Amino acid sequence: MPDLQFKATINGRKISRAAKPHQRLLDFVRDDLNLTGNKEGCGAGECGTCSVFVNGVLMKSCLLPIAKAHNTTIETVEALAKTGELSVLQQAFHKAGASQCGYCIPGMVMAATAALRANPFADREEIKERLGGNICRCTGYQKIFDAVELARDVQNGSLPATVLFEDEVAQGDFIGKNVRRIDTPGKVSGRLKYAGDMTMPGMLHVQVLRSPHPHARIASIDISAAEAMEGVEGVITCADVPGEDGFGVFVNDQPIMARGKVRYVGEAVAAVAAESPLIVKRALAAIKVIYEPLPAVFDPDEALCPGAPILHDYAPDNITKHIPIRVGDVDKGFAESDLVMEETYTTQAIEHAYLEPEAGLAYVDQDGVVTIVSPDQNVTHHRHMLARIIAKPISKVRFIMSPVGGGFGGKEDMIYQGMLALLAMKTQRAVRLVFTREESIISTAKRHPSRTVLRMGLKRDGHIHALQMKMICDGGAYGLSTEGVMRKAAILAAGPYVIPNVRIDTFGIYTNNTPSGAFRSFGALQTAFATESHLDMCAERLGLDPFRIRRINAMRDGAVTHTKARLGSVSLMRSLDALEKASGWESGAPTSRGDRRRDLNRNDIRPPCTLGARFVEAEKPEAAE
Amino acid sequence: MARKRGRGMAACWYGIARTAVIDRAAAWVELDDGGSAKVVTGVTEIGEGILTVLAQIAAHEMGVRPEHVVIGDNDTARAPEASHAGASRQTYMIGNAVALASREARKRLVDVMAIVWDVEAETIRTSAGEIWAENTNHHITMGEAVHTAKSRGVVPVGSASFGTDTTGLDPVDGSGRPWQAYVFGAQVAEVEVDTVTGEVQVLGIWAAHDVGRAVNPQGVEGQIEGGIVQALGQGLMEDYKLENGRTSTSGFAKYILPTALDVPRVNSIIIEDPDPIGPLGVKGVGEPAMVPTIPAIMNAIYDAVGVRITALPATPEKVLMAIREKDQLEAHMAAQAAE
Repeated sequence: MPDLQFKATINGRKISRAAKPHQRLLDFVRDDLNLTGNKEGCGAGECGTCSVFVNGVLMKSCLLPIAKAHNTTIETVEALAKTGELSVLQQAFHKAGASQCGYCIPGMVMAATAALRANPFADREEIKERLGGNICRCTGYQKIFDAVELARDVQNGSLPATVLFEDEVAQGDFIGKNVRRIDTPGKVSGRLKYAGDMTMPGMLHVQVLRSPHPHARIASIDISAAEAMEGVEGVITCADVPGEDGFGVFVNDQPIMARGKVRYVGEAVAAVAAESPLIVKRALAAIKVIYEPLPAVFDPDEALCPGAPILHDYAPDNITKHIPIRVGDVDKGFAESDLVMEETYTTQAIEHAYLEPEAGLAYVDQDGVVTIVSPDQNVTHHRHMLARIIAKPISKVRFIMSPVGGGFGGKEDMIYQGMLALLAMKTQRAVRLVFTREESIISTAKRHPSRTVLRMGLKRDGHIHALQMKMICDGGAYGLSTEGVMRKAAILAAGPYVIPNVRIDTFGIYTNNTPSGAFRSFGALQTAFATESHLDMCAERLGLDPFRIRRINAMRDGAVTHTKARLGSVSLMRSLDALEKASGWESGAPTSRGDRRRDLNRNDIRPPCTLGARFVEAEKPEAAE
Repeated sequence: MARKRGRGMAACWYGIARTAVIDRAAAWVELDDGGSAKVVTGVTEIGEGILTVLAQIAAHEMGVRPEHVVIGDNDTARAPEASHAGASRQTYMIGNAVALASREARKRLVDVMAIVWDVEAETIRTSAGEIWAENTNHHITMGEAVHTAKSRGVVPVGSASFGTDTTGLDPVDGSGRPWQAYVFGAQVAEVEVDTVTGEVQVLGIWAAHDVGRAVNPQGVEGQIEGGIVQALGQGLMEDYKLENGRTSTSGFAKYILPTALDVPRVNSIIIEDPDPIGPLGVKGVGEPAMVPTIPAIMNAIYDAVGVRITALPATPEKVLMAIREKDQLEAHMAAQAAE
């Protein structure tokens, strides 16, 4: 396709440049103009972080071929605070605490700007609908709505601009005050550079060849054709690892790239560094891997059966970790109980879905220090592991944390930094790897899917007398944080309740599924779902209010936990009291009494949403945006 | 009525900082020229606002302003270890380390000024960029005081390490002391269930969480609101699907996430039960905020329509199926009773 002489007015400046007609507008502004404020979150028009204005209309620039933007006026997020001074809306985001990791925020600010341009008096519900195309994973959106409402009121004159200023803090007493976040101006303006926004002189582009098989022996890898290609500067496989390979959080069972066999779809097999992303792609296609598929196991219960495929030689039973907790005598406890209930609970795998896909740069500095720049939740541990893997002293390995565009546990694993280090060492040039959304989803850890059998015995007065829980979790192909997740799940499984007889077993199991790993709340979410659902079921049978059954069993000051640790102050009763009061809870047994309750529909909930109802009513032309 | 409302609640507890191992974090602090301050620590801002929290703590402890605190963050060649960003640990571990280091830097400065002014060090106060001695006319800016200290050969620096007194678990019965700080909390959810489509809307959440001491209440609310919405996603819609190890949900078109239209109003109730061990009384909130949400929602669905969802997520299809099964069962039982 011939080049297009692309002309447009971008952020008030006329530009005229050669471009490929099929190039995405997002890549053009980011790569060719170095306007990196707007980010790529999904590449599919689903997340909105790439949102820009084209002739004043909000558009997702990842879906727009540049030819379609020819001769238009384009504004990126950089246009909003061009002279360094934040717009009213950006100041409102700062004041309201609407930005957390900040990665979605440039797109969110653009969408909110569009919303208030369309209707300067938009109410909260209309604001929500107008922001419906932008995903935020950190904030829960509430403070974003607050910010847009604040900006609306300042812009339309119903509030003075002084409401955007920092709250006064008396006497230097800065703890306990809503000091505005020091990093927000850089985030709302798009000035903050995440790893995928950074470049270095002479930088090479990196991509990864991934396994198409869930379980297969690697018979051979032939990289010769790829290595011979012009513009290819480095191709690596596990053979390039100079030290002792293997990373993990608790057990170092995962090689930097597959060694001998692959254990899940998406596992890294080889990586290429080349002068341009296109050359990298062609080189990846030229790598010849011969796989011999092996029997695979996808269900943790099947993985426990004799004769099941074995993933790791060190764990012939496929058990990554088993954590037991024992208190008293549960069999006797059940025999002494007035009510015994058993139920099975299951939870699914979920994706962290941080808006920033994994990205990183690496280089070897003038002193021979292998340096990795990445959004990494555990640089201390990763430096330690990488030094062993690349056989260098720890002082010759340096990790620099780049701004993290959301993590939630998903960036605790050293899943790609090793490949960057090896390629920087091999090419002696700066290298950069930016994951696509699909790559991020298929290759990185998920929340552990779980199956929990919970049996609880209670006395007639509501005291829990015995609790038995067995949880089987699918840990996937590698250990990552499974051991720790099983441990935390077990410790917290029985809830903050005094129970004389407890038997808990949590198991993390290897399968050929995507690995499971650290995810905010780390096993406690799965067990609490079971225990807290179960308590309500028991409360119904015993005719007890849900608050009451929890108070009957609540740990108090000085309680001893199920791991036999003595607590100091216990704030559970305070929390329950404050919650019952604040929610105006109407007491009663949980007998499916929703249609009789009188505590519903207070003024501290949101109205239910019926999609599109407003726009059918209004029929305004801008509603079609 | 096609749409039915209900409420449910659930409680939680959580341990703060790394589990069943000794956790640790360090910080270096300098009271710098012009009344500014420098804090260097291996902290990882992952969005929760920890940099601002540390600036507030350093400003509060030393008597400067948060906007004049510069933070050197995570770089293994330039900053002392503060371990990882996880386990709801950063405010607890790194906040306490920064507080202790700030106190040491302040003491260096105050000790010089006590000699210069010929007063007892205990009578010297520092606040928001100023330093003075009680019941005297001595009152200057922190910038002037730092200049005075340096002219006497003293750079006011401090460093500190904060560690936990914890143990591993016994491999047989699990006994041990996995944490030294625990938090507790509870949530109420109000839902509306559409009995024609099975769709569940969470309209309100009331969330009471003990955080020890809220350094930045707006930030605490942000953690609670964000945690609740992530849990809502797992409770109602998100599902990473695999078949024979291959996913059918590799993009956001198929992997459904909560949007602005899905989220409840969250009413946060911050409880402060100070940690007696650390110098600040702070604990943590990042993870516990999402622990009670799912069971609270599931208990609310039961309250509204009488069906118990035990397999997540509670998608419209699953809720609708459960309602139909319940209706059929009730009709069957009614028919049997009539016979």
